[in-house]
Amino acid sequence: MKLLLTLLLIGASLGSWAQAKRILLTNGFLHVGNGETMESALVGVVDGKITMVQNSLATTINKKEWDTIINLNGQHIYPGFVAPNSTLGLTEIDAVRATRDFDDVGEFNPHVRTQIAYNAESKVISTVKTNGVLITQATPRGGIISGTSSVMFLSGWNWEDATIQKDDGIHLNWPSSTEGGGWWAEPAPKKKNDDYEAQKTKINEFFQLSSTYAKAKKTNVDLRLEAMKACFNGNKRVFFHADEIQQILDVMDFVKEFNIKYPVIIGGYDAYLIGKRFKDANIPVMLTRVHSLPEMDEDAVDLPYKLPFLLQQQGIKFCLQNTGDMETMNARNIPFLAGTAMAYGLTDEEALRAISLSSCEILGIDKKFGSIQVGKSATLFVSEGPALDMRTNKVSLILVNGKFEAVTNFQTELYNKYKKKYEEKQK
Amino acid sequence: MRLLLFLLSTILFSGFSFSQYAPLNGVKDSKSEVIALKNVTVYVNSNNKITNATVVVADGKIVDVGTKITIPSGALEIDMNGKTIVPAFVELYSNVGLPSQGERNYSQRPQIESSKKGSYYWNEAIRPEVEAATLFDVDAKAAENFSKMGFGFAVTHVQDGIVRGTGALVGLGNSDTRKQVISSNSAQFYSFAKGSSGQTYPSSQMGSIALLRQALYDLKYYSENKNAEQSLSLEKWKNNQSLPVFFKTEDKWEILRAAKIATEFKQNFYFVGSGNEYLITKQLKEAKSTVVLPLNFPEAYDVKDPYLARQIPLSDLKHWELAPSNPYLLSAEGIQICLTSLGTKSPEQFWKNLQKAISRGLKIEDALAALTSIPAKLIGADELIGSLDRGKLASFTVFSSDPFLTEATLLESWNQGTQHVIKSLPSVSILGKYSLNIDGKNYQVEFTESNEKPVGKIQLFKSNVNTIGKKDTVALKMAVTLVQNDISLQFNCDDDNFKGSINLHAKISNNGSVFEGDGTLPNGKWIRWSGIKTTKTDEKKEPTTLKLDTTFIAKTWFPNLAYGYDSIPEVRTVVFKNATVWTNEKEGIIKDATVITENGKIKSVSTNSTATPTNAIIIDAKGKHLTAGIIDEHSHIAISKGVNEGGQSISAEVSISDVVTADDINVYRQLAGGVTAAQLLHGSANPIGGQSALIKLKWGHTPDEMLITNAPKFIKCALGENVKQANWGDFNTVRFPQTRMGVEQVFYDGFARARAYKEEWDNYSKNPKKAEGTPRKDLELDVLVEILESKRFITCHSYVQSEINMLMHVADSMNFKINTFTHILEGYKVADKMKAHGVGGSTFADWWAYKFEVNDAIPYNAKMMADQGVVVAINSDDAEMGRRLNQEAAKSVKYGGMSEEEAWKMVTLNPAKLLHLDDRMGSVKVGKDADIVLWSDNPLSIKAKVELTMIDGKVLYSSADASKSEERNTLERARIINKMLESNEKGEPAKPFVKKGRKHYHCDTLGEEGTEEENLH
Repeated sequence: MKLLLTLLLIGASLGSWAQAKRILLTNGFLHVGNGETMESALVGVVDGKITMVQNSLATTINKKEWDTIINLNGQHIYPGFVAPNSTLGLTEIDAVRATRDFDDVGEFNPHVRTQIAYNAESKVISTVKTNGVLITQATPRGGIISGTSSVMFLSGWNWEDATIQKDDGIHLNWPSSTEGGGWWAEPAPKKKNDDYEAQKTKINEFFQLSSTYAKAKKTNVDLRLEAMKACFNGNKRVFFHADEIQQILDVMDFVKEFNIKYPVIIGGYDAYLIGKRFKDANIPVMLTRVHSLPEMDEDAVDLPYKLPFLLQQQGIKFCLQNTGDMETMNARNIPFLAGTAMAYGLTDEEALRAISLSSCEILGIDKKFGSIQVGKSATLFVSEGPALDMRTNKVSLILVNGKFEAVTNFQTELYNKYKKKYEEKQK
Repeated sequence: MRLLLFLLSTILFSGFSFSQYAPLNGVKDSKSEVIALKNVTVYVNSNNKITNATVVVADGKIVDVGTKITIPSGALEIDMNGKTIVPAFVELYSNVGLPSQGERNYSQRPQIESSKKGSYYWNEAIRPEVEAATLFDVDAKAAENFSKMGFGFAVTHVQDGIVRGTGALVGLGNSDTRKQVISSNSAQFYSFAKGSSGQTYPSSQMGSIALLRQALYDLKYYSENKNAEQSLSLEKWKNNQSLPVFFKTEDKWEILRAAKIATEFKQNFYFVGSGNEYLITKQLKEAKSTVVLPLNFPEAYDVKDPYLARQIPLSDLKHWELAPSNPYLLSAEGIQICLTSLGTKSPEQFWKNLQKAISRGLKIEDALAALTSIPAKLIGADELIGSLDRGKLASFTVFSSDPFLTEATLLESWNQGTQHVIKSLPSVSILGKYSLNIDGKNYQVEFTESNEKPVGKIQLFKSNVNTIGKKDTVALKMAVTLVQNDISLQFNCDDDNFKGSINLHAKISNNGSVFEGDGTLPNGKWIRWSGIKTTKTDEKKEPTTLKLDTTFIAKTWFPNLAYGYDSIPEVRTVVFKNATVWTNEKEGIIKDATVITENGKIKSVSTNSTATPTNAIIIDAKGKHLTAGIIDEHSHIAISKGVNEGGQSISAEVSISDVVTADDINVYRQLAGGVTAAQLLHGSANPIGGQSALIKLKWGHTPDEMLITNAPKFIKCALGENVKQANWGDFNTVRFPQTRMGVEQVFYDGFARARAYKEEWDNYSKNPKKAEGTPRKDLELDVLVEILESKRFITCHSYVQSEINMLMHVADSMNFKINTFTHILEGYKVADKMKAHGVGGSTFADWWAYKFEVNDAIPYNAKMMADQGVVVAINSDDAEMGRRLNQEAAKSVKYGGMSEEEAWKMVTLNPAKLLHLDDRMGSVKVGKDADIVLWSDNPLSIKAKVELTMIDGKVLYSSADASKSEERNTLERARIINKMLESNEKGEPAKPFVKKGRKHYHCDTLGEEGTEEENLH
């Protein structure tokens, strides 16, 4: 069946497109994800893959080649945004213990895997997807090594369907060189962590044990050490959660010592202070939440807003992430973190890259995801206006791996339900 | 006067005398004694220092002091050789000889009622019945420590609770307890700290304030009403009312908080300070306050590691630098001060800090008065103590030289005529050169510096390994101990004679010229040795003199932390030209407009060319957007010590306005986000919480200046999971209510009681004579009555439609209106009912999923409520989001398609309406407060940045100033760190750094000190 549609119909007619195999989006304002843009773009999708990205003015369309052609009327096309380092899908309601599946007992838990706990039917996910976030890294919390994350679609019948990259890396919470005193609002003393060296030694010992185990030919199976193996041959990334300068410098040494192929720093608040040495270490950063308060009284009031720009200027590879208070529901605001970074120094397309292509590069999935280029997965969305500004982020079409996704969720349903109540009342 | 001379040993070295009531065990001891101390320099009092004087002591008192004195015959005359005598200091804040505060009773289940037996006050933190004198026992060790500081008297009290009972004036000798108690009831002590009480109430500083006020009203009621219920606590308290009150504080703002209570009850409090009072000298001076200042100045930080050093808050660095100047800065303003040893770790530190305070400018006479006559006067004991004038108790301290001018040694402490030797100086001089004979070998030694701390060096001769016949001379330092007539020496010998430790001890004879004694050689051989003085050196006459510290000391900033001002910006006339103005009025958004502010108000808004006033600051706002300041209807910044008084289900008596602090950096950060006013709300831990503070974000101003004048009165109420303690763990199942059903009843009950209370008072005021006395004043019910009479408005934390509906019914049945539902995430379900009731909604743009009751929260809520005619605001409830409320407002354009103008009103005009402040704030209209923000862009755009924020006509933030302040922060930090490094290098004590945590109050933060648990809103 061939369809020629304009976007006005999308919400209603999703059902009839479910089987679409050859989709052509016309007349869109394309944000590739790699820094480039294209007006009046044509984006062709066949069997879930992007097969064509061209300027419509220079191309003649053969309508017969497509079973679905959608005229975007100048709306914006974006690659699916990414929510790395998130508990999205691992919890539903923060306060209800029964719904929390991201933090297990133990200090070194590399064997604990998020992939199988990922709830593809999460109500929270349904509200995040509709703002353009289509990929997440389901990430465990707690302990020293929290566990192993997996990169997932915000879509799928089950976790198997949703998996993009199984067991992409382990998450290591680097000890803090300071230790929290823990008052709430009064000047809250934080002190030098006197156990810092001892805690580092503990991590060192675990990695030594793991690397010895990885090299050994035959041993009794140790689930934890087994899970570590892939960190040494580059099949798993090591995500170091670290913010302070002391931590970052120590991570740099640690990475060298254990010859870790794909290290990533999550947080990296102080990274801008190190500059060239850090750049040369070639460790990418998933930056601390842009919408957070400065660490110190004296920090520039807008320092967290400016951090992306500061790293960009120094040539440090980075992307944005969103961990913090209420991170699951807040994942839908990731576009606006990029928006703020844009207000504070990044160009529009640099800001976009920081939540799409750069994220995918750091996660190691950029061959298939992160930009709208021929050969990549058709995981993208269309917004009525610029998607990094909350006024104009209005998602009108979502494709995940070439399949149409609903642009509605239970919240829009409640909206319509009660709108109807008032409309009926007025009558 | 009896002039009898008793045995010399008794006079000088007996430490004991007994209470006059006690039966005698043994033979009668001497009762009186006369001693004349001759040739002394004496500080008779802080204004009178005399040299070559004589002090006559008899019967434990000063009989005479002066230069031309006839020494009574028979007096024991002692030549003091020019030593200095200083009156014994008076310590006002101490618990010497008393038990220290017990551990707080802790149980996992909350303790709501008092656990104390007896008919005492209902709250264990109110303990006026405690009398120090009934618990006092001489603590010889502590007394010795005080003596070494120069203190001879202390007012000691049990440091536990908010009302702590009475303190006793005691002498600090080590004799019989009964004899040491000079006055058993000298003063009362109050504080804001609840101490060891395990009761849930109060759990915050505002709760402590309310409790103290209620207790004082209860005291008044008790004193005036014969029929009042008996109370042991109130009875004792009533009897203590003539005693002075010392109020212990932990921060400068606490002094101002306590002062308000003093004013309310027409009392005078003396404040025991915390060391940062130099930041409120103006207020202290105006109020003619007296402050007892601690000398425990902060130690330097260890700043050798720059990674750690950079984390030390600038405020702490600045305080380190300024703290030693605290006594001077207050004294220089004419504020009456006392000094306390509170917090000083040792006598050495006390003296070092006292001298430091003097070196910073504190006058010696002021320092002395602050330690003697003033404290004596405050406790009404100046007849007996506080100076060495005739008739006063003979308690004083003897120093080797003037301790305020020189590095002196504290030698003796006299306690009511009894001498106590702290340190005896050697009676001979060994300074000079000696020739020693050690087991037949000859050595030359020399002693230098002072007899008190002699430095000894010995010359050794050792054959040179390389050149035969050549001897190397080595000067080796010896350990020397000189006590009276005994000398001991130790050195590790390495010469041709001996290898190893040589230990010598000898008696000194012939006025220091001969040593004779025994010792051991490295091989353990017991030998005799001797020494003869060959050259005599005189001791250095003048001890080291103290100098004024003239190094540059920075001025305080307003506030005294990063981004503080040198001086508070003034109100200026400002002309904004060519601006795009979001008026929030019928004019809508107007382009190329001129806005003029004058005297803190908006003077004109127009698109025509207007005459520019003289002396105006002219700002070209071309391409920029000018708006009214953002008003955050729900904020918890700038609050001290607790946002929740969760100890009881109703805590209407507490008020956030009592605990506003001006030192929160988030005030500045929110200014940088365009926020100019906020409602600081009590948390949501109980159904009827506490009163709000409505503030303007006037950075650099005092808490009182931040409070909006004549602000409408508000109170926070709350519903749902937080008030029924649903997420507080399995032990918090005691307090009523635990269900939504119970919540309703708490409201009905509270308001019913309030009605009855109102009636009682109405009846009383109609016919005061007939009534059986004034009804009891109840601060909690007073506030509930205000609500019933629509004189106080409710902002109610709420989530689900059932509870929202319920509370509107409660209010309707009592004939008042709920003013605002805050959070109100299911408001969209009952917006029609809300409109009918006339309540507004202040909500989040898109929060949900953080607890069960927000499962149906949708981001379309704001728009849907607005569509039904409800006045809707978007608030933060979060220090971070508070600085980008413009973005949050913009989300309603996305969710539901609200117009930009209406969206913008949700963070400006609408919160002003909800707070009943729209007659002065919320729009750019002539006559309204000049609370104005200049934006780089459309304020709802993601690209918008604040360029300038003005409050009441003062420019309190500009992005340009912020950059300058950043540089200034850096310079100031570097300057002080350098000073601190010098201190580190000198080996002065240093502490590891302490960094401010990044914690903030949210609705459900409990207690003064929370944990790092996740926040639930």
